[in-house]
Amino acid sequence: MTTARERILAQQNTPWKKGVRRLQGLMLDTILMLLVLLMIEFLALAFSGRRGPTGLLLTPEEILDLLSYPWLVTVAFVLATLWNLFYRPLGTSPGRATVRGVMPEEEFLPWTQTSRGWFTALLIQLTFFTGWLITEVQLLTFLTKFSKAADIVRGLMNPSADVLHQGLVLLVQTIFLAFMATAFAIPLAFALSFVAARNLTRGNWVARWSYTLARTVMNLTRAVEPLVWALIFISWVGIGPFAGVLALWVHSVAALTKLYSEQIESIDTGPVEAITATGASTLQVLRYGVVPQIIPPFLSFTIYRWDINVRMSTIIGFVGGGGIGYILKPRVDLGAWGEVGTLVILIAVTVWAMDIVSAKVRERIV
Amino acid sequence: MSGERGIVIDARGLSKVFPDGTQALDNVDLEVREGEFLAILGLSGSGKSTLLRCLNRLIEPTEGSVSIFGEDVTRARGKKLRKIRSDIAMIFQQFNLVRRHTVLINVLSGALGRSGLLSSALLRFSEYERKKAMGFLERVGLKGRESSRADALSGGQQQRVAIARALMQEARLVLADEPVASLDPALRHSIMRHIEDLNRKEGMTVVCTLHDIDLVRRYATRLVALRAGRKVWEGTAEQFDGDTFREIYGEDAEPASNTMI
Ligand SMILES: Nc1ncnc2c1ncn2[C@@H]1O[C@H](COP(=O)(O)OP(=O)(O)O)[C@@H](O)[C@H]1O
Ligand SMILES: [Mg+2]
Repeated sequence: MTTARERILAQQNTPWKKGVRRLQGLMLDTILMLLVLLMIEFLALAFSGRRGPTGLLLTPEEILDLLSYPWLVTVAFVLATLWNLFYRPLGTSPGRATVRGVMPEEEFLPWTQTSRGWFTALLIQLTFFTGWLITEVQLLTFLTKFSKAADIVRGLMNPSADVLHQGLVLLVQTIFLAFMATAFAIPLAFALSFVAARNLTRGNWVARWSYTLARTVMNLTRAVEPLVWALIFISWVGIGPFAGVLALWVHSVAALTKLYSEQIESIDTGPVEAITATGASTLQVLRYGVVPQIIPPFLSFTIYRWDINVRMSTIIGFVGGGGIGYILKPRVDLGAWGEVGTLVILIAVTVWAMDIVSAKVRERIV
Repeated sequence: MSGERGIVIDARGLSKVFPDGTQALDNVDLEVREGEFLAILGLSGSGKSTLLRCLNRLIEPTEGSVSIFGEDVTRARGKKLRKIRSDIAMIFQQFNLVRRHTVLINVLSGALGRSGLLSSALLRFSEYERKKAMGFLERVGLKGRESSRADALSGGQQQRVAIARALMQEARLVLADEPVASLDPALRHSIMRHIEDLNRKEGMTVVCTLHDIDLVRRYATRLVALRAGRKVWEGTAEQFDGDTFREIYGEDAEPASNTMI
């Protein structure tokens, strides 16, 4: 007769699940190996002195076009497969280690004594050098050519009073814009956060799927910059502060849902257990066991979000989403640095004040 | 004598394997009769908390069946399960009060199992329930503290609020999980006496996990001992002696010098 324990373990280790994990490890290794190979070839080409069709040294973009992708994919796959097959003598590969864990004898070794440690170190090194070339880092220029930017700095130090009045008016608009975006985001984020909290959505498959769906939508939404949302909403409702409100609203919903749901995930389970034990329904458990624990941190996050939205609305204004950024952009383009200086100071003072006030309020709440 | 009384808990073949492979319970049978004060003892990690939580399905048992007051707990779903739970009060080592709520709301939350959805969503309870809750608070010696925030109270006071919550629930069975383990030794008897009152005066059946052998001897009518998830001993407080002690806790344990286990 098998014990309950053996049966549960067997369920977790079906050949199918084992196979899937093996495959995941192999895929991960292939990708990592491919990255290493690509970067080695990239660096080799960059330092080979080869010249492009124009007769000049190859630019990073040209090198990226020249890399032997199909060939390296094959090699990476073969190497990864070999490493996964012979992980005993070679040491566990990073992919296998991530998905299936390491061999016991490797458990407590420092990274310098494992092959995957060295591999990771190599990967990081290569990434740094490749990054240096791809982003065209020029330390010398950075350190010696400051004089060109001095004009701007001088202008910023001598703010002009001409835009002060208009700037103040738009500053008020900015603060309200950020407030409305936050206010509209609260109810939606509040409702979504319960669905997006892992600990509340383990009950049945409907809950699990809602969780996955909510998380996916939230992450996709957050991945799109508010600037892009602004462009979308400007063509939807036209240039002006309302487009900015909508752009920040979408982004705030996603961001607040994430923060709220993380808060829900970290609540004390004791009261939840106690309320459940009285025979309360799911909604009552939420109302009595969960909500009182999350309201203060929620408030705190929300104020913080308003604060962030004030900062973001400046950038949103650049593309026509209302607020103070709207008059900042043309002055930057014209090089009217004195006026830019005034506006930047207004923004800085506001952000600074919001920061202090929100920090103080949040301190009191929690 | 217990033979004539009705069976309150009838658990058969309870096993619990956690997803990480830990076997917390291994084929445990438990029979509790009306009016008993049953103590469950065992080293920490022996599965006492898991056993209590499997009884009202705060933890889902992997195998086995539980029936309480003749109702099949293991098969119950939704409303049925909530109805069964509302008949079982629970007291915890960490009190598990809603810390930001007032003492009164914490006591009233014991009645959630029988209150309407809307009124409870608004934290609204009838005047009748309120009066009752105030009465229970007075009974556990917390008169005048009803509008304090729960976390403003000391540990002993919080546990008394939890007892008032159990009274409010009007349950017929109490599951207490180490009710005095996080309290000052001087306060232990005061809390245990309140639980004894639940048993003697209210006629509630009590199942209580305990660490302290002296407390077990003083309050329990019957004992069940767990070791590594198995039931290794069962008997009355009088039958419990040094040999049984070593049987339960292992050869190295010393009953005389080590009453706190
Ligand atoms: N949620 C859980 N996941 C995994 N293991 C658990 C969990 N809860 C308890 N355990 C384990 O189950 C065993 C019994 O725990 P518990 O019932 O809390 O013991 P006791 O209350 O007697 O101290 C312990 O080994 C504990 O580590
Ligand atoms: Mg315990």
